[in-house]
Amino acid sequence: MPKGMFVDTTICIGCKACQVACKQWNVLPGEPADFRTDPAEKIPVAVNFTGDSYDNTADLTGTNWRRVRFIEQFPEHRAGGRWLISSDSCKHCGDAGCLNACPTGALVRTDLGNVVVRQDVCIGCKYCLPSCPFGVVAFSHQTGTARKCSLCDERIHNGLGTACAKACPTGSIAYGEVADLKKKADARLARLKELGHAKANIYGYREAGGLNVFYLFDDRPSVYGQPEQPVVPQGRLVLSSAVTVAGAIAVGVAALAAFRERGDGESRSEEVEK
Amino acid sequence: MSPEVHAPGWEWYYIGLYFFFGGVSAGAYFIGSLAEFFGGGRHRGISRTAFYVAFPTLLVTPPLLIGDLGQPLRFWHLLFDARSGFPYVNLSSPMSVGSWALVLYGAMALLSFLDNLVAEGVLDAAPFAKLYSRLPRKVYAAVGSAAGFFIAGYTGVLLNVTARPLWALTDPLVGALFIASAGSTGAAAIYLVMKWRRVHPGPELEEFERFDRIVKVLEIALAVAIVIAAGKHAGALFRGPYAVMFWGGAILLGTLVPLASNVYAHRPGRHVRSEPAAVLMACLVLFGGLLLRVSLVQAGQL
Repeated sequence: MPKGMFVDTTICIGCKACQVACKQWNVLPGEPADFRTDPAEKIPVAVNFTGDSYDNTADLTGTNWRRVRFIEQFPEHRAGGRWLISSDSCKHCGDAGCLNACPTGALVRTDLGNVVVRQDVCIGCKYCLPSCPFGVVAFSHQTGTARKCSLCDERIHNGLGTACAKACPTGSIAYGEVADLKKKADARLARLKELGHAKANIYGYREAGGLNVFYLFDDRPSVYGQPEQPVVPQGRLVLSSAVTVAGAIAVGVAALAAFRERGDGESRSEEVEK
Repeated sequence: MSPEVHAPGWEWYYIGLYFFFGGVSAGAYFIGSLAEFFGGGRHRGISRTAFYVAFPTLLVTPPLLIGDLGQPLRFWHLLFDARSGFPYVNLSSPMSVGSWALVLYGAMALLSFLDNLVAEGVLDAAPFAKLYSRLPRKVYAAVGSAAGFFIAGYTGVLLNVTARPLWALTDPLVGALFIASAGSTGAAAIYLVMKWRRVHPGPELEEFERFDRIVKVLEIALAVAIVIAAGKHAGALFRGPYAVMFWGGAILLGTLVPLASNVYAHRPGRHVRSEPAAVLMACLVLFGGLLLRVSLVQAGQL
C-alpha cells in the first residue's frame, strides 16, 4: 500500500508554504544569496536571483527539495492570460532511475513505497544525478552526499502526512494512499473536463513505472518543466551492454587478425605451458 | 522551460583521467592476453610489456575514483553493504558491477605483473609459482582479457545509461568506442614501453601497426556515428573547448594523423618504418585517447 501525493496544480496559489514547511521539517538551510561584484556595477549584485517570475529556487537542489514553478502564459497584448503554478519535488517513481543506478545501496525504497537516500550510506559518487530523468536528485557540498525529498520518511512512518501537504492551504498537495489519491485525481480531472479544460491531464500514471507523487496539469507536461516521455535509463542497459560486447569482439578479432600465427615456420615457445 | 537532467559534476581530472588510465591499462592487458593466447608464445615480448604497462597504470586509478567522491572514506560501500558488511552488488548499476570488475581485473593484472617479475628473475619464484602454476596460463589469459575488455568498455555503458541528453542519445555506442580507443592507446603504451625497455619490436611492430589500422578505422566510424546520434545535442562537441579537444585532439591528432602515418609507412614497396615517427605517433594516440574521454565526459555535463 504505497503512500504518495497528488498535486492538483489547478488550485495552487503559489504561496510557497510547502517550500517553507519542507525546509523547516528537513532542517534544510537557505541557499546563500551569492553576491558578487560586477565590475560594471557600483554595488554588489546577487547572481542567484532567478529573475524568472516568482520562482526563487530555479532548480531542485541539495537544500531545495521542493520548488514552486510559475508559468506566465500571457499573450503580447496582456489580455486573457493565465498563471500556471506547480509545486514540484521528487516523484518517488515506481521504476526509479536513481535507485537502479546507486552502487552502494544508499538509495532504498521503504515499505511505504517512498525512495530515500540513506545519508550515512551514500558515498557521494553522484551517479544518481544524471540517472534521474526528472532532474530531482542533487549533490550537497555541505554533506558530500546526494540529497532529495524523502516523502518525509520519518513523518509518514509515524502516521503523519508530509510536511508540505500539511502546510498547503488550498489542498493542492494531498497526501495519502496512492490508490485513494488516484480516485480523487480522476474525479477532479472529470470535473475539469466538464468545465471545459480540454488540455487537463494527469501526469504520472504511466511515466517511469507509475509515479507515487503525481500531478494534475492544465497544459502539456513540458509547459510545467516535466519531460513528456521520461525514460528510465536502465531500460537501455541490456542493449548498451550487448553493443559494447560486440565492440569488444570486433577489437578482439582485429587483435587476432594482427597477431595470429601465420604458419611461417616459427616454433611455439615451450614456455607456454610451463 | 525544458526539463534539465542534473549533471553529476564529475571533474575531468578525476573521472576523465580514470577513464583514460583505466582504458590504457585494460587495453594493454587484453592485447597482451590475446597475443599470449593466440600468438603461441611468439609474442612474449608484447605480452610481457603489456603486463608491465597494465598494473602500474591501474594503480593510478583508485585515488582518482575515490578523490571524486563526496565522502571518500566511505569508498568501501561500493563493495560491501554498509550495514551488514556483506558483499554488495547492484546488477542494474554499471558503477556497482564495474567496481567488482575492477577488483577482479586488479587481481589479474597483479598476478600477471608478478609472473613477469618472476620470469625475469626480479622476484624469487618459489613461493609465488606454487600459487600461480595451479592453473594453466591460458586460463589467466582468458579471464584476464575478458576482465580487460570489461574495464575498457563499462565506462562507456556507464555514461550511456543515464538521462543526460548527449550521453543518452549516443547510447549504445560509447562503450564500443571506448574499447576501440583502449585498444589503440593500450597498443601505443605497449610500444612506447618496449622502446623504453629496448625490447626490439622487430616484426612485431608491423603486427602492431596492422592492429592499429583496423582499430582506428573502427574508432573513427564509431566517433562519427556518435556525433550523428547526438543530433541537436551534439552542440558541445561543435563549440567551445570540448569541440577543440574532440575534433582537434581525439579525432585529428589522436586518430587521423597516426592512421595516415601508419598507412603511409606501410604503402607498397616500403619496408622500413621511421622509429622517431612511430614514437611520436604513439604519443599522439595516447594524447588523443585522453582528450576523447575528457571531451565526452565533460561535454555531456554542460
